[in-house]
Amino acid sequence: MAYSFPEEVLEHVFSFIHSDKDRNAVSLVCKSWYEIERWCRRRIFVGNCYAVSPRIVIRRFPEVRSVSLKGKPHFADFNLVPEGWGGYVYPWISAMAEAYPWLEELRLKRMVVTDEALELISRSFKNFSALVLSSCEGFTTDGLAAIAANCRNLKELDLRECDVDDRSGNWLSHFPESCTSLVSLSFSCLEGEVSFSALERLVSRCTNLRALRLNHSVPLDKLPNLLRRAPQLVDLGMGAYTAELRPELYSRLGNAFAGCKGLKSLSGFWDVVPSYLPATYSVCAGITFLNLSYATIQSPDLIKLIRQCRNLQRLWVLDYIEDSGLNALAASCKDLEELRVFPSDPFGQEANVSLTEQGLVSVSEGCPKLQSVLYFCRQMTNAALFTIARNRPNMTRFRLCIIEPRTPDYLTLQPLDAGFGAIVEHCKDLRRLSLSGLLTDLVFEYIGTHAQKLEMLSVAFAGESDLGLHHVLSGCKSLRKLEIRDCPFGDKALFVNASKLETMRSLWMSSCSVSFGACKLLGQKMPRLNVEVIDERAPPDLRPESEPIERLYVYRTIAGPRLDMPGFVWTMGDEKSATEFS
Amino acid sequence: MSESEMAIIKPEVMKSYIWLQTADGSIQQVEEEVAMFCPMICREIIQTGMGSSKNYAISLPQRVNPSILSLILDYCRFHQVPGRSNKERKSFDEKFIRIDTKRLCELTSAADSLQLKPLVDLTSRALARMIEGKTPEEIRETFHLPDDLTEEEKLEPLRNTADDPRIRLLNRLYARKRKELKEREKLKNVEVEEEHVDERSVDDLLSFINGGDGDSKVPKTSKHKKKNRRRKDQAKDVSSDNVSKNHKKDPADLSSVEPSPSKTSKIQEAAVDSLAAKVEFDDGDIDDELDPAMKEELDREVEDFARRLNSDWPERMQEILSSGQERRHAPISMNGNGSLRRYTGLERR
Repeated sequence: MAYSFPEEVLEHVFSFIHSDKDRNAVSLVCKSWYEIERWCRRRIFVGNCYAVSPRIVIRRFPEVRSVSLKGKPHFADFNLVPEGWGGYVYPWISAMAEAYPWLEELRLKRMVVTDEALELISRSFKNFSALVLSSCEGFTTDGLAAIAANCRNLKELDLRECDVDDRSGNWLSHFPESCTSLVSLSFSCLEGEVSFSALERLVSRCTNLRALRLNHSVPLDKLPNLLRRAPQLVDLGMGAYTAELRPELYSRLGNAFAGCKGLKSLSGFWDVVPSYLPATYSVCAGITFLNLSYATIQSPDLIKLIRQCRNLQRLWVLDYIEDSGLNALAASCKDLEELRVFPSDPFGQEANVSLTEQGLVSVSEGCPKLQSVLYFCRQMTNAALFTIARNRPNMTRFRLCIIEPRTPDYLTLQPLDAGFGAIVEHCKDLRRLSLSGLLTDLVFEYIGTHAQKLEMLSVAFAGESDLGLHHVLSGCKSLRKLEIRDCPFGDKALFVNASKLETMRSLWMSSCSVSFGACKLLGQKMPRLNVEVIDERAPPDLRPESEPIERLYVYRTIAGPRLDMPGFVWTMGDEKSATEFS
Repeated sequence: MSESEMAIIKPEVMKSYIWLQTADGSIQQVEEEVAMFCPMICREIIQTGMGSSKNYAISLPQRVNPSILSLILDYCRFHQVPGRSNKERKSFDEKFIRIDTKRLCELTSAADSLQLKPLVDLTSRALARMIEGKTPEEIRETFHLPDDLTEEEKLEPLRNTADDPRIRLLNRLYARKRKELKEREKLKNVEVEEEHVDERSVDDLLSFINGGDGDSKVPKTSKHKKKNRRRKDQAKDVSSDNVSKNHKKDPADLSSVEPSPSKTSKIQEAAVDSLAAKVEFDDGDIDDELDPAMKEELDREVEDFARRLNSDWPERMQEILSSGQERRHAPISMNGNGSLRRYTGLERR
């Protein structure tokens, strides 16, 4: 006998269930829950904008207030996705402008956003409050001006690593004097200058401002005034942290920082001059996130700063930190959860800094909560990986990037199969993994066997045969995203595991050995996949079918083949394409 | 009135009671301040004057049975005392909701009908916590809910391996449906070319690729080409063997499938109808023009099916956009085929 509830009660219960995973479980329980849930769903996340059409989403979820969309595949960050591939947000905005007049939030990642789209957003949604654009492109500061001018209740405007055509800094002046609602303003990726007086006035009147990330153009001597106007800041991205050494500026800066007692996050630090760093010391004890990935300062200065940040949870830093700095980190920051070390000179032939596998081992030993690692280095050993794996079975994200492809264990000259094998065996909750170094098919066998919670795998210059790919596709139960470049993987593994592809979000393969004939066949046999061949050389049908294609992007979809492809992208199995190639 | 008489009357006057009647007819009395804590009861008292005696007991909504009422009154009795600290109240609440699921549901429902918002929130949150982290099946078990979504609606997410019985059944069914669809088309006098239809299921395809006896109508030349290329590269025989072995573990024999009751197959046939239609449109070999009205109907069916089929895709594609955006860096090829993002000051394009 079912425990019955009136609808409103059930809806009220659902209002306390937030994660997408749980809401989806709820919608599959029974017919009545499905119906109730879909009407009260307020927030949706679409991980691949081509997997579903706006119309289908709108039809199923009529009362959505917050939409997150992702466009281009991740390898677009490395220029592996040609310009013009797709990921246009305008069709979504246009559909939602009609269907969701009460839309409040839009979060986009790797999408092409135009000024028209921004203008449409600013005019269509009366309660629009949050716009977050990560790694997006295609718009100018004119579009930002429209958002600033028309969105009366704007709380959040965040631009993260976007490619913006900076026409003028005046876009900030388009925030009306009546605008006091801003909670988060982030424009660190803009190249040009902003109107500084407009910025100051805006910061003054937005008393709820919690996050402010400036761009490089805001000079250091303007910072104390800004900080004095916003002592309630929690997240600060500074502009250029450089100036001639002036004691009065230094003391003004120190006082200003001391006034921001709630600061938890510091970033920016462009062109940092080490002598000004101690001005931040008064807030360092409260800092949990420190982003020094633009700070070209040497290890001794970094160590001094890090030692002040005893409660640090996340650190992003350049490899200038070296092993010595990482040792200091391991000793001082026992709450560290995430470490990212970026290369200062990735294209150099030789190491310019003394950063080795030891630094990472040291942090893995000293920081018991460490679970997320991104580490660029030039050498690694299986032994180090064993140690890291045994030290940190709680690791959930492990991305190791040995700069030179196919680098073996430098002590034994063996492949790093065993080391990565240890990682997947010990770290049972591993969700994300990036491989590098010299690797055979064996590492993939380990991954397929042990990495049962792995959701995303990135592979480059690894493996020996289709068997490698087959191990991963047939073994990793939770795999959702697989991206591969320059590996000798081909058709066989794809055919044998074709149905697996329907359980994943996407597969990317570039510079591998997948033939055009195989892509065609896959596209024909798997109607719920879009099998996209991306080839800038020439239409693939002008070459023998057995010849490998440049790039393959396979993703599941219920929207069918997309219609906005450029000339160098073909969807396989599509009626139109098929007749072209017959 | 004499003093002695007053002394007898006073105790009753000092404490007044409200009379409540539950749907089953039973009546009980409750201290007034406790009863007044319930907005619905409070309103009844004030607006209608009911509740002051047994004959004029306030009728409670049907969802409130005597045992649940007693629970609710315990809650009210505790919380209506003004002096309690937040910590005390919280502690009481945590203990209060530690009851079995059935009673928790009844309590939620009853509190809602009495408009006792704090208790509604408390119980709703407790129920939400019971739902979180569970699969649909587990949720159904917990709340004794019917399993009335059709198989096709629940089929998502599709399983990993090709030997999932439902996938194989679907494959077989859609092959059959495509045939039927074509017959129907013929009857409508639409020209259907005698094209060679590749009716192989994915499993058939697999055995074909691995050198099995699939009913293949496609010339084997491409396969040989591939084999030649393989030999040219390196001895990949080991890998081929392994791959075939893996596949042979998974028989393409569809007759071993045991579908669940006929209702399932019927539903799946309907689903497969749509799937077949979609396959029709996507298969480049077939270029017959379908009657547009039928095409539209099939379109809708397909979408409907696809929608229900893929209803928990957000789960699959789950990755909450976090505030500190990750920047992912893969090893770079030395020919400059992938430059790093701007954080090193290098050009992105």
